[in-house]
Amino acid sequence: MASAPTSKYNSHSLENESIKRTSRDGVNRDIGEALPRLPGETRITDKEVIYICPFNGPIKGRVYITNYRLYLRSLETDSALILDVPLGVISRIEKMGGATSRGENSYGLDITCKDMRNLRFALKQEGHSRRDMFEILTRYAFPLAHSLPIFAFLNEEKFDVDGWMVYNPVEEYRRQVLSWIHPENKTVIMRCSQPLVGMSGKRNKDDEKYLDVIRETNRQINKLTIYDARPNVNAVANKATGGGYESDDAYHNAELFFLDIHNIHVMRESLKKVKDIVYPNVEESHWLSSLESTHWLEHIKLVLTGAIQVADRVSSGKSSVVVHCSDGWDRTAQLTSLAMLMLDSYYRSIEGFEILVQKEWISFGHKFASRIGHGDKNHADADRSPIFLQFVDCVWQMSKQFPTAFEFNERFLIIILDHLYSCRFGTFLYNCESAREKQKVTERTVSLWSLINSNKDKFKNPFYTKEINRVLYPVASMRHLELWVNYYIRWNPRIKQQQPNPVEQRYMELLALRDEYIKRLEELQLANSPKLSDPSTSPSSPSQMMPHVQTHF
Amino acid sequence: MEFSELIRTGQAQAELLRGPEMPPLRGTLCVTGHHLLLSPGPQATPDLWLLLLRSVDSIEKRVAGDAGTITLRCKDLRVLQLDIEGVEATLDIARSIEALSSLESVITSFPFFYRPKGLRLGEAWHFHPPERYYKRIARETRAWRLSEANEDFSLCPSYPRAVIVPRAVDDDALARSARFRQGGRFPVLSYYHAPRGTVLLRSSQPLTGRQKLRCAEDEELLRAVLAEARPGARGFIVDTRSAQAAKQARMTGGGTEAKAAYPGWKRLHRPLERGRPLQESFVRLMEACGDPEQSMDRWLSRLDGCRWLSHVKEALSTACLAAQGMEWEGACILVHGAEGTDSTLLVTSLAQLILDPLSRTMAGFQELIEREWIQAGHPFQLRCAHSAFSHTRPKHEAPIFLLFLDCVWQLGRQFPLSLEFGEGMLLALFDHSYASPFGTFLCNSEKERCLCEVRTRTHSLWSGLNQPKEQRKLRNPLYVPNPLAIWPSVEPQSLRLWQGLFLRWTHPPEPSEVAWEKVWQIATDQKTEGSQPTDSASEPQP
Repeated sequence: MASAPTSKYNSHSLENESIKRTSRDGVNRDIGEALPRLPGETRITDKEVIYICPFNGPIKGRVYITNYRLYLRSLETDSALILDVPLGVISRIEKMGGATSRGENSYGLDITCKDMRNLRFALKQEGHSRRDMFEILTRYAFPLAHSLPIFAFLNEEKFDVDGWMVYNPVEEYRRQVLSWIHPENKTVIMRCSQPLVGMSGKRNKDDEKYLDVIRETNRQINKLTIYDARPNVNAVANKATGGGYESDDAYHNAELFFLDIHNIHVMRESLKKVKDIVYPNVEESHWLSSLESTHWLEHIKLVLTGAIQVADRVSSGKSSVVVHCSDGWDRTAQLTSLAMLMLDSYYRSIEGFEILVQKEWISFGHKFASRIGHGDKNHADADRSPIFLQFVDCVWQMSKQFPTAFEFNERFLIIILDHLYSCRFGTFLYNCESAREKQKVTERTVSLWSLINSNKDKFKNPFYTKEINRVLYPVASMRHLELWVNYYIRWNPRIKQQQPNPVEQRYMELLALRDEYIKRLEELQLANSPKLSDPSTSPSSPSQMMPHVQTHF
Repeated sequence: MEFSELIRTGQAQAELLRGPEMPPLRGTLCVTGHHLLLSPGPQATPDLWLLLLRSVDSIEKRVAGDAGTITLRCKDLRVLQLDIEGVEATLDIARSIEALSSLESVITSFPFFYRPKGLRLGEAWHFHPPERYYKRIARETRAWRLSEANEDFSLCPSYPRAVIVPRAVDDDALARSARFRQGGRFPVLSYYHAPRGTVLLRSSQPLTGRQKLRCAEDEELLRAVLAEARPGARGFIVDTRSAQAAKQARMTGGGTEAKAAYPGWKRLHRPLERGRPLQESFVRLMEACGDPEQSMDRWLSRLDGCRWLSHVKEALSTACLAAQGMEWEGACILVHGAEGTDSTLLVTSLAQLILDPLSRTMAGFQELIEREWIQAGHPFQLRCAHSAFSHTRPKHEAPIFLLFLDCVWQLGRQFPLSLEFGEGMLLALFDHSYASPFGTFLCNSEKERCLCEVRTRTHSLWSGLNQPKEQRKLRNPLYVPNPLAIWPSVEPQSLRLWQGLFLRWTHPPEPSEVAWEKVWQIATDQKTEGSQPTDSASEPQP
């Protein structure tokens, strides 16, 4: 006891147990079987390997590879370790060591994942044993390079609910104009890309006219506000490549503000630094200073600050707002969707959030295929960037600050991020609507929302209190932002809190009891209301008749 | 003594600014013996605003033209600004507050005058003494006895009248052991871990000195501890100083237990900061939290530089070490540093929270604080004389009890269902430990409290807190009894700044009380609706 270092006394002893939990990532599976499989998933190969666990050291196991996942089961009696990794999360596969390398476990494969972890397998050196594993993994993790279909097109899962029906642009348009209109003061949020001003200061009469029309729709204030998400210098620099920003003399009656949010390359490098300090081992000494040096939270702060400005301009400033960056599908999407989340409580429900993602991100052409690189082997592609992850992080920060304002819980956000990479669903595939239509994505693949909406209870926040018309302004000060440990450091068994199950169970109990309570209340209301005492008239729509019952929670 | 001698002025017109979230108050300002009062005029809200002068930590005055401004920084970390009409009035009020807030006499302090409605003097004082704890462990084992050798505080002025010691050791031996320990703090039982039959003891350092003195009775006492535990049990002495510091203490008459003299016991050194460095860490943290000019991109490294979270980490790891020694190794643990009244109590009380489900209930936690901090002789009056804002050079101040509360908060964050009390309870304890209308945290030891007749002449904080109307603020609505030990993660990324305390008065997003209230609603609505009976004895009145 005395010889062990202090940290030994923390939670090491719980590691084996928690690894079992960490490896389960929300995919349905039957643990009793050797290999869980989805309908449409086919087994390709299996092999005995040594998994070099960064936390517990080498573990002998059998790895199974299908066209969807890599699955490893420990062969050691004292370890129940299971790894279950959708091939979609793989960013890069490298061979480590050579046929002549010496040293134990120095020959094998090194796999870099998109979800903040790396995997390392050691194989026997005799007979090029890793070659076929390497080839099979490469083929199925990067199907596009091998003229193979992405797994989402092979997935034959069936759900009770069709997630593709969640978002109907025409219906949403009836509810809202693009992107959002304030229900009372009729100010709007619009989005676009940068104007092509260029070095010569080109102008476009029609564009100027168009913005003027938008301004005129709002009768309360004579000014239109334009938010340029970029830092001022970048906007100026963009003139050299033909872009630029709205000048004062061309767009009079419009005010322009820069929001200082950096570009996709800066974000990618920042997240890389976060991974460096949290995986596999957390930088313990001066943890906070190293966290600061990644600048990740600072970027989160700037995105949130920008969104707060947009929301506040619309809500209190009563001015219509146009938001753009360079292309209009990265920072712009972050700002408009976050501003809408702050302004409109509808988007804080599970379904509302799905619609928000579907509308502001998928429909408006955030280039998911380029940013994530689904099925693509080019891991160093400069187009890749964690813009959507950063948005979800901002949502998580908001949900921390307003624990009762969101219908969904942390697990909901994490499962969205998991399937952002997994390629099991068609939801995040391709760069734009036209490509999706061409591939008939909605007919040929399953939507992520099908999985989530057929099991909604798992993703509900028991403390959700529905409040209509409440505007949320999160505090975007560094003092109130924290690293999303449960996402970024979730593979590390040491940060796991030791009793996730009772907590979850208690939350579920609370949810069930709350639902029961609402139901009883509704029954009481029905019984007490003389007009509705005739049972034949009552089932029409209880929620419409008693809005106050709904808002009670 | 007459307070009126210290009050320079009757009253003045003033405006009070209470921070960003609260509207300013205008009215007549008045200094009384224990309070600062602001009475809004008849046209405004009838509420009287009241501040206990004792809770003023520092005062700053400025005059310009014919008005003045007083900035009060309070021990509960609030910052208040008073704009006062008249230069003379400003200076007089400032002087009065200065004089009255720094009075040292205990028996003229407000608790001796506080007579709230609905409470009777003497209530709740009998709740928690060691006798009660002894009854609990006597049901489990016969190896220990309650000794009244310290009845007149002659053995150890900082111990209570009764302490729990090995049955095999008689009172004479205790007296000799007391003479061999600094301040007379001989090893006594702190916690009996029934599931493994092991014990947690605490004491002060042995007075071995340069000559490496020994004391047969002290050695016998520790031998008896091991003999009473299961056969072959080992013991660990957790010294809260570094090996170097412990060795150096010999030069000034202190020291540590020599290996040869205490067979079966092994020494471990886990240095914990206390005293000056801890106070400075607290002061720097509050400077960082209250700095409005601070460029926010340096916040994290500044927080790092305060080292407060490192102190939290060290305290929790040392408590885990002690708890794991008992739970996993079945060993007996003795904790001490030098005096044994600061870090020692931090470690022993946290170890109990980790291991003992009873100490995580509302009643158990109050008992723990009473037994392990108040009666165990933590010098509250000296340690909590000032909090983070005082300009005077710190003498004995150190936020060791605050560090304990922070560690408990971290436990509560990591185990949200396992503590019956919530953040509100910890905040209340912090506030009351620095300035309170109740007598519970007065004085430095039981001996002093007896001399001042604190028990009969003041109200107990526990009776104040246990009133039904306070429960909703203090209890955790999600509590479900957890019979297991709760092992916290002490990795740096698992520990957070306690925003609810350190940013309490600058904290603007959804005020945590609002969220707390909603959680209460959901949890209690379903309790009254739901059919499962809960333990009605501790059930709060909604």
